[in-house]
Amino acid sequence: MLDDIAFWVGYLTNGKHLTWYASFQFTIFAALMGGALAVVFGLTGATLKNSRFLPFRLVGSFYSAIVRGVPDVLFFLFFPLAFEQAVEWIVATQVCSPEAIAAQTAPWPPCREANWFLGTFEYLILASVSLGLVYGAFATNVIHGAMRSVPAGQLEAARAYGMSARQVLWHIHIRQMWVYALPGLSNVWMLIIKATSLLSLLQIADIVLWADRLGAPNFLPAVGLVHDDWRWRYYLVLFVFYILVTWLSERAFGAIMRRAGRGILSEAHG
Amino acid sequence: MKKTMLAAAAVLALATPAFAQESVRIATEGAYAPWNFLNDAGEPAGFEIDLGNAICETAGLTCEWILNDWDSIIPNLLAGNYDLIMAGMSITEERLATIDFTQDYFPPDPSKFVAAPGSDLDFSALSGARIGVQSGTIQAAYAEENLSADNTIVSFATADQNMADLMAGNIDTILADGSYLEQVVTASNGAIEFFGEDILVGGGVGAGLRKDDAELKAKIDDALTALKADGTVDRLIAQWFDGQGPYYAE
Repeated sequence: MLDDIAFWVGYLTNGKHLTWYASFQFTIFAALMGGALAVVFGLTGATLKNSRFLPFRLVGSFYSAIVRGVPDVLFFLFFPLAFEQAVEWIVATQVCSPEAIAAQTAPWPPCREANWFLGTFEYLILASVSLGLVYGAFATNVIHGAMRSVPAGQLEAARAYGMSARQVLWHIHIRQMWVYALPGLSNVWMLIIKATSLLSLLQIADIVLWADRLGAPNFLPAVGLVHDDWRWRYYLVLFVFYILVTWLSERAFGAIMRRAGRGILSEAHG
Repeated sequence: MKKTMLAAAAVLALATPAFAQESVRIATEGAYAPWNFLNDAGEPAGFEIDLGNAICETAGLTCEWILNDWDSIIPNLLAGNYDLIMAGMSITEERLATIDFTQDYFPPDPSKFVAAPGSDLDFSALSGARIGVQSGTIQAAYAEENLSADNTIVSFATADQNMADLMAGNIDTILADGSYLEQVVTASNGAIEFFGEDILVGGGVGAGLRKDDAELKAKIDDALTALKADGTVDRLIAQWFDGQGPYYAE
């Protein structure tokens, strides 16, 4: 019995498993940074959509309409690739000699010197930006709607007190907007968390990839513990992890709601 | 402004080394024991890892191992994510159309069928069978061309998933590299057996690289010639493949 426990503790703390545990940092990083960027893009998009200047309004509407319609998996694959090639193209205009371009047989990049090697860190940043862009489009809609929900009387009163347009925007409009936006933003956050399971598509050795590798059946004692297809056991751990994150997020959003609602009387706040 | 400059400098500092070529990156699948797999420490290990490290030492190169799934291992080589593939890849005409290979470091490896003991399939003229292959392999191409008319070909992303589905009875037989199957059959204690005749497809196994990388190819080829001459390749083959060989002794 004790031997069994010692064996399993040893198995679950071998280097392979420790790498798996460590890979949770990628998922958490991508969720937090993706979430922060989504709010930034959402605020920007909503401000553009609210703008009195028609081209800005069009850009804001175009962004929230188009990006929301594109499946996140596609965007996740498309954006980092497009960004990488754009950077390589710009670098190529600077570093590629005509001889190097002539010597290049692969279709891309234009010359070998312009090749940009993306490691886990670079992909993680690009993944977070992709998440931010996709879910920023949803956040744009949520925030835009929330800004329209702030009673016009509040803004008129602020102007009557002599506040400048900028003061009205930041101290009254956006300050009160959160109460209406938070329920929608909490939904967007849940979607971001779910989308972090796509990280392995960008060659990031994330929790899903390691669950796959650890759960893959092994037939040779020389390789490690011989076992059948155990992937479902590892997926179960991911399942529990995501439920835990969901539960924590709901509690955190509850606390943020209470804080954002301080001193505001409204039906949304109840 | 100062902050912007600092940020720009930081981005440049991060990005610059990525354009400089300081080491040779070798891609492997890490799921094809004993060729290449992840050991308990989570690091790549196996015949090709030992051989690759020996090549790099002989050629005076600094090498770094990168894990990449089998099905995207050639596209990502072409995209420049790494410089060399060592993943039990047979040298074939089809692959030579897109990439180049070094000289072989493992002789042509016969493909074999395995199935549960007492299988009533006629392996000389298979029909009505569900045949498992790993996608993108020489066996997958062979099965698609020669066996798909009368049988169902089932493709798997990794060799081990293929094997797990055979054990679970989802497929009737597997066609795969003999070098991979040999140890699995031995370790299975009779749960699976070899059937039928060997099938010879593909040349030897070599390291894949981009066609424009003649310089690297020359270095690796020279190192392999030296390692074959001093017996290192044969020693590693014998060590990882239950005493097979020697294949390259003079």
